[in-house]
Amino acid sequence: MKVIRSLLDKLYEVPGLQRYKPIIGAADAILYGTNETTHAAPHVVDNIDIKRYMSFVILALLPAVAASVYFFGFRVIAIIMVSYMAGGAVEVIFAMVGKHDIHEGFLITGLIFPLVLPPTCPLWVVAIGVVFGTMFGKEMFGGTGRNIFNPALVGRLFITIAFPAIMSANWQQPFDYSLETDATTVATPLGKYKSTAMAGEVNPTVVEFKEDEANKQVLFTSAAAVEKCTLNPESKFDGVKIYCVGNGAYKKAAKHKRIEESNLTRLFSYGDLLVGKEPGSMGETCRIVIILGGIFLMFAKVSNWRIPVSYLGTVFVLALVGHRFLPQDIAPPVFQIFAGGLMFGAMFMATDPITSPFTKAGKYCFGVSCGVLTVLIRSFTGYVEGVMFSIVIMNAFTPLIDQIVLMFKYRPAKT
Amino acid sequence: MNMTSELWAALVTCFAAVFTGNILLSYFLGMCPFTSVSREVKTALGLGCAVVFVMTSTAALNWLAYRFILKPLELEYFRFVMFIIIIAAFVQFVEMVIDRYSPKLYYNLGIFLPLITVNCAILGASLFMVIRDYSFIVTVGYGFGSGLGWLLAISAMAGIRQRLANDRIPAGLQGPGITLIIAGLMALAFIGFAGVLT
Repeated sequence: MKVIRSLLDKLYEVPGLQRYKPIIGAADAILYGTNETTHAAPHVVDNIDIKRYMSFVILALLPAVAASVYFFGFRVIAIIMVSYMAGGAVEVIFAMVGKHDIHEGFLITGLIFPLVLPPTCPLWVVAIGVVFGTMFGKEMFGGTGRNIFNPALVGRLFITIAFPAIMSANWQQPFDYSLETDATTVATPLGKYKSTAMAGEVNPTVVEFKEDEANKQVLFTSAAAVEKCTLNPESKFDGVKIYCVGNGAYKKAAKHKRIEESNLTRLFSYGDLLVGKEPGSMGETCRIVIILGGIFLMFAKVSNWRIPVSYLGTVFVLALVGHRFLPQDIAPPVFQIFAGGLMFGAMFMATDPITSPFTKAGKYCFGVSCGVLTVLIRSFTGYVEGVMFSIVIMNAFTPLIDQIVLMFKYRPAKT
Repeated sequence: MNMTSELWAALVTCFAAVFTGNILLSYFLGMCPFTSVSREVKTALGLGCAVVFVMTSTAALNWLAYRFILKPLELEYFRFVMFIIIIAAFVQFVEMVIDRYSPKLYYNLGIFLPLITVNCAILGASLFMVIRDYSFIVTVGYGFGSGLGWLLAISAMAGIRQRLANDRIPAGLQGPGITLIIAGLMALAFIGFAGVLT
């Protein structure tokens, strides 16, 4: 070990290598650790430093990484490696030109970014996204702890807009090890809901079948809605395609005598959604480990509970009210919570301490606004998913929210 | 068209002007004051409120002028000159009012208040109103919404820039450079609203 130590010490002194000092510093930090104190945000009143902070987040993300490898295969590892290499290169170049150290923050960006990509994403798109995200999301602002937007989301946003076909069409079905089928591409649960709800009626109280209406279809979102419809003696189900959300509605409809088994389809079950057997971005599908990871971060005081709770709560309440009045557009509440990237976004992206407000009132405001925007974008735009947009939009408003809160809190006393 | 549906249409247009077709983030109008007056939140809010007021009023005034003066005389091609004159006169009026009631804000806004006159967002809103054939009430809603969207964008930018003031931004990007990059990223995020209430 002493050999490496003395070698590193010598390398610091070599005049020709002064330019590459950040790389030597990084190697030193990885091998030996440093005794330096934190000099960039986030500053936390605890014996926690930026390194432990980052390693806790990575620890919390590892189960999600393992789950995505399990469900989508070893390609996930390749994507993560490309992300680390391409983004790391940008980080190193900026560190050398700007003559500062390589920050640990990149370890998280490089890991979170692949987790929010679709599993079929080509490697060159991964590289473009992570380079854009690190460069314009972080380095332009001066590096880790100074960024305004979440770098991983900036990268994801850029490639979503630039390559819409790649980013929203081919979703890989997670491997089901009990079936011996090859990987197939399908729509995500949110996409399936949107297309089925648009094509027919949602939760009708009576189903009528007319001869001239070919391909009539209805969608039921709860067992209660199925019951209400089947109890109506005027409902005729012959030849009507019926889709059900969740096992409850499916079983209820399957039991009914007038509904033929062949016309009945279950869009997905809530259990599959929780475990990760439904298609989606690599890291977001296995919700159960994401929830565990998020709770771990909250107990470790690395992330704050206020943002995820207000975010998820707002989505739930809005979906609950909205689904009653506009079932065609707004999906049911429990489904919204567990579908798409909401859980991952709320637990790992919205809670990023650098890009979210530091005041308590600001945190609630951030979470609630994210929730409103998510439901709005999911339900009323051409985009199936709204979590990414809503978090980046609120990132832009974060400094303003904080300043307004401080303005109200530390108002000069009226004389 | 009856009154209720008219008001509803105005509300929808107002919402769409704030989010879906934000005059700054999707049309990139009004960039000059956006880059230069966004250093401080308070000044930005002041200018933003002035723009909301001026935009709503001038859109309404211009609608009246277009409908009752230019159209009967078949002088539609004259609208650029007409609109600019109305806007300039109106801004002069606002300037005098601010000078009278809030000298501090007047001092902070400096040259930028008279510059509202040539703010392309103001003229843009009036011209869009003609192109899209809005009714009077919808025009008021559109002018108000456009101003509000502009206020929202500039105050967010001012908040960001106030936070960035102490940051280590690469030398070549300080000032307008980083402002345009941030505006670009914000515009990228606002694409998410595409399709809401258009």
